[in-house]
Amino acid sequence: MSGKTRTELTAGGNLRDTLREFGLPRLIIAAFLLLMFIIAPFTGVNFWAQITNVINRFSWNAVLVLAMVPMVHSGCGLNFGLPVGIIAGLLGATLSIEFGFTGFASFVMAILIATPFALAFGMAYGWLLNKIKGGEMMIATYVGFSVVSFFCMMWLVLPYKKPDMAWGFEGTGLRTTFPVDKYYGGVLSNFLKIEIGKLVIPTGALLFFAFLAFLMWAFLHTKTGTAMTAVGSNPTFARAAGIHVDRIRMLSVVMSTWLAAIGILVYEQGFGFVQLYNAPFNMALPAVSAILIGGATANKASITNVVIGTILFQGIVTMTPTVMNGLINLDISEVLRMVVSNGMILYALTRKSEVSR
Amino acid sequence: MRKILFRAGTILVLLIIAAVMFFIGRGHTIYFDNKNLDYEGTRYEAVRRINVSVNGEQVARLSKKERGMATCMGQSFQFDIEVIREKNGESEFYSYSLSLPYGMDGIIVNLPGIMSGLPQDAWMSEFIPAPEPPDEENEELPGEEDFDPAGEI
Amino acid sequence: MSRRSLSGRNAVRFFSSNSVPIMFILIIAVCVPIVGFSPAFLLNEIVTRFSRNAFLILSLLIPIMAGMGLNFGMTLGAMAAEIALIFTSDWQIWGIPGVVLAMIISIPISTVLGLLCGKILNAARGREMITSYIISFFMNGVYQLVVLYMMGSIIPIVHNNIKLPRGYGIRSSVDLTRIRKCLDNVLAVNIGGVRIPLLTVAIIVLMCLVIVWFRRTKLGQDMRAVGQDMEVARAAGINVERTRLISIVISTVLAGIGMVIYLQNMGDMATYSSHSQIGMFCIAALLVGGASVDRASIGNVFLGVILFHTMFILAPAAGAKITGNEVIGEYFRVFVSYGVITIALIMYETKKRREKAGMGELLAAAQREEEKKHA
Repeated sequence: MSGKTRTELTAGGNLRDTLREFGLPRLIIAAFLLLMFIIAPFTGVNFWAQITNVINRFSWNAVLVLAMVPMVHSGCGLNFGLPVGIIAGLLGATLSIEFGFTGFASFVMAILIATPFALAFGMAYGWLLNKIKGGEMMIATYVGFSVVSFFCMMWLVLPYKKPDMAWGFEGTGLRTTFPVDKYYGGVLSNFLKIEIGKLVIPTGALLFFAFLAFLMWAFLHTKTGTAMTAVGSNPTFARAAGIHVDRIRMLSVVMSTWLAAIGILVYEQGFGFVQLYNAPFNMALPAVSAILIGGATANKASITNVVIGTILFQGIVTMTPTVMNGLINLDISEVLRMVVSNGMILYALTRKSEVSR
Repeated sequence: MRKILFRAGTILVLLIIAAVMFFIGRGHTIYFDNKNLDYEGTRYEAVRRINVSVNGEQVARLSKKERGMATCMGQSFQFDIEVIREKNGESEFYSYSLSLPYGMDGIIVNLPGIMSGLPQDAWMSEFIPAPEPPDEENEELPGEEDFDPAGEI
Repeated sequence: MSRRSLSGRNAVRFFSSNSVPIMFILIIAVCVPIVGFSPAFLLNEIVTRFSRNAFLILSLLIPIMAGMGLNFGMTLGAMAAEIALIFTSDWQIWGIPGVVLAMIISIPISTVLGLLCGKILNAARGREMITSYIISFFMNGVYQLVVLYMMGSIIPIVHNNIKLPRGYGIRSSVDLTRIRKCLDNVLAVNIGGVRIPLLTVAIIVLMCLVIVWFRRTKLGQDMRAVGQDMEVARAAGINVERTRLISIVISTVLAGIGMVIYLQNMGDMATYSSHSQIGMFCIAALLVGGASVDRASIGNVFLGVILFHTMFILAPAAGAKITGNEVIGEYFRVFVSYGVITIALIMYETKKRREKAGMGELLAAAQREEEKKHA
């Protein structure tokens, strides 16, 4: 209500408030991306090819970013333990291929096989996070790392036989990277694909994300969903209102883990390759910073944040190298990406009002 | 006040140490040439054999047209040579002490020149390494986090 | 209470509070006979790695004392040392002077980085560890910007052999043979086939003495007070922010010096990856020595560096012997490093919660007492 009176008092103050809410770093990133799009045509880069690129990358990554939402809502903070779910997804992917499924069936089977793993991992992970309330983010990071490094050994040891993914003669485990074009590569992206000149829209993948995002939105408006938000914003109050805080938190972690498992499968069908071993180490931070760039905070995140954040983040990742290369023949995109994404996380961590619970 | 003086003193001491390190730690590579030298129209002939030693340790045995090398830290460099002009002939012993130019990494010393007592610019020259053949293969550049489980620590 | 049960409980407590070192001793005890290295070889390796890493790990002690947890930002000091070594090898400063000069050059760089890190950590109170962890990633980006793009183009680099063929940026590996083991070779003694680099060991011991002395100074006392309870310390008139800032700066500077010692032993520097793992391995080693997030001693450093590195030497060979695949051992030691850190973090958080709950109960009991009195 006080906000309303202030609005009436000064329009300038209102603008400043909106700006503050939007956040300076976000504004800079958005402006930077806009600048990239404006410059792009002058550097001889095809504008529509770039747009296609951004949409494609969006369709690969959006589900992984969506996986952040439930844990943020329940007050578990940013899910730095995303690799736990990614490993479940990788288990689903490799087992589905090992069992000989192909095409769309292999994608469905990968999801089906990944689900029990994601549930089991998610429950263990959620149980642990309930034990250490308040220190979730750091521990999540290291739980993720431990699981990834444990599975580094497992990929070597588990008796996979399919020659497409296992090392040929000696049979010592899986390859680090292998293509999935024989299996579920592009099953979503190529579904109802729209091509207008240079512009290509992976309709299927976008629809799949929209479907999951809609489910998430609907869930957050159910009774359990609102309870989750309540737990996140005020656990003491939630407990007083008779909500099982630990159970809700557990649910959010399981959801997040399952979405991460689905997310990596969607990523692989777009990217075309499965990456094992050390690859999942580097997957949490981009997703975390994407949702933060989209305007989420450590305890508040919406579907809009996911969409905006993924577009901005992937936009910068895809646009900068091409534009920079065309402009000054210098590719500093990797460095820029590290500085921007980690800088964004740092910014969120140092905001007192935003993170404190 | 005492605190500021103390701090300024510490910084000054560190700066002085750093400056000293610049001089005593500057590394040079010295190449000894037993080669003919032409200087102002005169030819100074290479010698049958020259043995070079630094700090009493032999670093090179040079026949005609050969080159040896030694490394040195700091700007003053002493070396001894044993010169044998003929087969089974008498050895002649000389000692030299050079002051090395700071800016040169590699320094060529022409031994016949220095033995004939020529001025320094006659027998001292900079060694310029041959430019490397341009490496066409792209060197591997860093990623987000280069994770190498076999990494040695 | 009988004496026996008391001692039994003490034993239980001893095992539970030292579970990580005990677990490591067991792993090593299993691995040693399997691998079958000669004792001289094993001891030599341990001594080398001890002299290489101990100083770096010592740099972690001071932030723990100030209650800031494990300083993942020590990576910043390592970056400063690498920048310094790039300069000294470009200027061709060799031997011990090169090492000393690199240390001196690293100090201002790590001070600036440490100040930055400390300022950010002060703004992120209560989340120091995750923040310092992200800072190390963030600064890695800045480091790459400087080393890969600015060196040779803006910052003058003379020698082509350390530059990339394109003319600017530093190669992914910098050769440090000119300062290789120059500290370790001074006063090295050979005892029964084990080579002990006395000078390096002396530097490490000296650093330990400095830390012991530092704990007793006014600043050290302040740090411990801040580490125990920030609010109480503030009430006692201690400038909490400044004290915390200083602890991070000291840690970063020490990490820089430690990294120079580390790299002179290696004799080769992986420009873009040497620093990225060093923080993780140092922290793991400290925790293996029985330290926790809020309590660490010099003894923990020594025990930890020995146990952790023994495991590190044995793991690949043991993996090769057991499964016929050396890579498994390499992954195993990485897994163990991460696992140890995870366990230590979990133990710290559960302890903190238990203490909080205990405090709550005490408060409630006091309140009841109070009410009874009033009634």
